[in-house]
Amino acid sequence: MSIVRTLLCTLVLVTAAPAGAHRLDEYLQATTIALEKTRVEADIRLVPGVDVFPLVFAEIDRDADGVVSSAEQRAYAQRVCDDLSLKVDGIPMTLRLVSSAISPKVLLQDGRGEIRVQVEADVPGSAARRRLDFENRHQTRIGAYLVNVLVPADPEMQVTAQHRNYDQSSFQLDYTDASALSFASWVEAWSWIDIALAVLTLGLIVSAWRVTAKARRSHHERLGAPSVGDHP
Amino acid sequence: MNTFPLKVLRDLAAFAVLCLVSHAVTAQTPTAQIVGAVNTFLSTLDDAQRKKVLFAFDDQQQRQRWSNLPISSVSRAGLSMGELSQPQRSAAFAVVSAALSRRGFEKVQQIMEADELLKKDAAKPIFGKDLYFISILGTPSEKTPWMLQFGGHHLALNITIAGDRGVLTPSLVGAQPALYKVNDKTIRPLGQESDRALALLNALDDAQRKQAILSYRVADLVLGPGQDGKTIQPEGLKASAMNESQRTMLIDLIAEWAGIVHDSAAGPRMAEIKSGLNDTWFAWSGATTADPGRNITAYYRIQGPNLVIEYAPQPLGGDPSLHLHTMYRDPTNDYGRTVTGK
Repeated sequence: MSIVRTLLCTLVLVTAAPAGAHRLDEYLQATTIALEKTRVEADIRLVPGVDVFPLVFAEIDRDADGVVSSAEQRAYAQRVCDDLSLKVDGIPMTLRLVSSAISPKVLLQDGRGEIRVQVEADVPGSAARRRLDFENRHQTRIGAYLVNVLVPADPEMQVTAQHRNYDQSSFQLDYTDASALSFASWVEAWSWIDIALAVLTLGLIVSAWRVTAKARRSHHERLGAPSVGDHP
Repeated sequence: MNTFPLKVLRDLAAFAVLCLVSHAVTAQTPTAQIVGAVNTFLSTLDDAQRKKVLFAFDDQQQRQRWSNLPISSVSRAGLSMGELSQPQRSAAFAVVSAALSRRGFEKVQQIMEADELLKKDAAKPIFGKDLYFISILGTPSEKTPWMLQFGGHHLALNITIAGDRGVLTPSLVGAQPALYKVNDKTIRPLGQESDRALALLNALDDAQRKQAILSYRVADLVLGPGQDGKTIQPEGLKASAMNESQRTMLIDLIAEWAGIVHDSAAGPRMAEIKSGLNDTWFAWSGATTADPGRNITAYYRIQGPNLVIEYAPQPLGGDPSLHLHTMYRDPTNDYGRTVTGK
C-alpha cells in the first residue's frame, strides 16, 4: 500500500484532465451485422456526445416536451432505419425495424446514454458468392461510424472480403455460401467461357458415344450376327 | 544447568512452528491464498455488508453489471471502497492483490489513482477511489467455481476461479488521465500497452504494415461492454506472416492483459494464446507515431481463436492519448463458461 500513500501525497497532474470527459462533438453509431443464409440483421448502437445532444434529442423529442414517448422513440428508430441502405448482389433490400431502446434523457445529455436500433432484411434466393453493401447516412454531419460483421454462426458461410470508406459509413462485404453450390449457382458463378467449354465438352462426349455405338453396330453386322431365320 | 537447554529447546520449537506456518502459507496454492483472503475480508464485514457483497454464482445481471462509465451512468452492486472502514478496505485490497499479479495490482492502483485526479476536477461526485466496488459471486472455494469482481470507472475485472484455473475475461482496463506525474516520475497506467504496440508496428516491414494498417478510422471499442460472446470477422496482419522476433513482440504485448491475473493463472492462459498464435491478427488504425514518453493515439486490435484485445483512445475534444479504453476478451470463454459450464 506504500505506492498508494506515495501517490496520494504527491500527485501532480501533467495536463489538466477534462472532468467527466465523454464523447463530446460526435454521434457514435456502431453497427454490428449478423449474416444468415436468408436474412441479414443489423444492430445499431447510437451514442450522442454532450455537445451534439441538443441536436439529436430535438430529432427524437419532436413535441419538445422533454419526454421521449414510445411513439417518438419508434418514429426516431424508423428514421434511423430509413437512413440505412442495404443491397445484396446489387439489389436493394427492404430493411424492417425490429426493435428499439433508449436510455433516460439524463444519461443521454451527459454523453453516457445510448439508443439501440435493430433492423433486419430478408435475403432472397441463394448464391455461392454474394456481395453485401451497407450504408449509414444518419446524421452524417456529426456521425462517427463503426461497422463490423460477426463471424457467421453457420459454418457453410464464410466472409471473404471487407471494404470500408474512411469514416466507415459505407461497407462492402463479400461472402460465400457453400450450401448454395446448386447447378443454377454454378452456372451463375461461371463465366461464358466456362459455359462454352462445358457445352463443347458435353458435345464431344455425346459425339464420341455415338461414334462408338455406330462402330459397335457395324462390327456386329460384319460378324454376321445370326438372324431369326438362321436358327436350325 | 537445566534451564539453558530448556530455553534453547523452547526457542527451537518456536522457530520450528514459525517455519511450519511460513511453509504452510507459501505452500498454499494461489486459489487457496485468494480464498483465504476472501474469507478474511468477509469476516471483517457485518451481516448487512455481507449481504451486499455476495451474489449467486449464476447471477447473470451481476456478471454483466460492469462498464467503462462512472457509476452515475452504470450503477454497480457490491460494496464500494467508500463504504468500508480502513481495515475492511485493506482486507478487500488483499483479495484483489491475491488474485492479480504484482504488475496487475499496480496497474489497478494507478488506474484508481488517475480517477482520484478526475474527482478533483469534477463538479459531481462521480469519480474517485471510493467508487470502486468489490463483489463475490458464489461461495469462495478451492474446488467449486466462483467469481470475484472488482471495478468502477475505467476498470472492470471479472475473475472466475475454478480450482486452480483463473479466467480474467471479459475485463476492461482504461485510464484517464492516462499520464500523470508523481514526484517528477511519469505514471502511465497503460504505458506498456502503448509502447509495445508501437514497437511491434515499427518492427513490421512495408508489406506487413500495409496488411496491418486499416484504411479506415475506428472511433471506439467494437466489443466493449454489452458485447459478450460476439466474434467479429478479423482483419489486419496474421501472426503466421510475422517472423519469430515479431511474434515474440506480439506475445509480450498480449501479456500486458493476460498477465494481469496472478502468475499461476496467466501461465496456462499464455500457453493457450500461443497455441492459437498462427491464427491471431494484429490490426492498427490511426497515427503511426507518438511523442517519446506519450501514449499512442491510434486504435489497435489483436484477435485470435480465444482472444480479443482492443486499445481505443477516446477522441473527446481533448488529447486522445490521455483517455484510454481497452478491452480483453475470450469470446469462447467469457466468465469462464468453458471451465464452469455456466
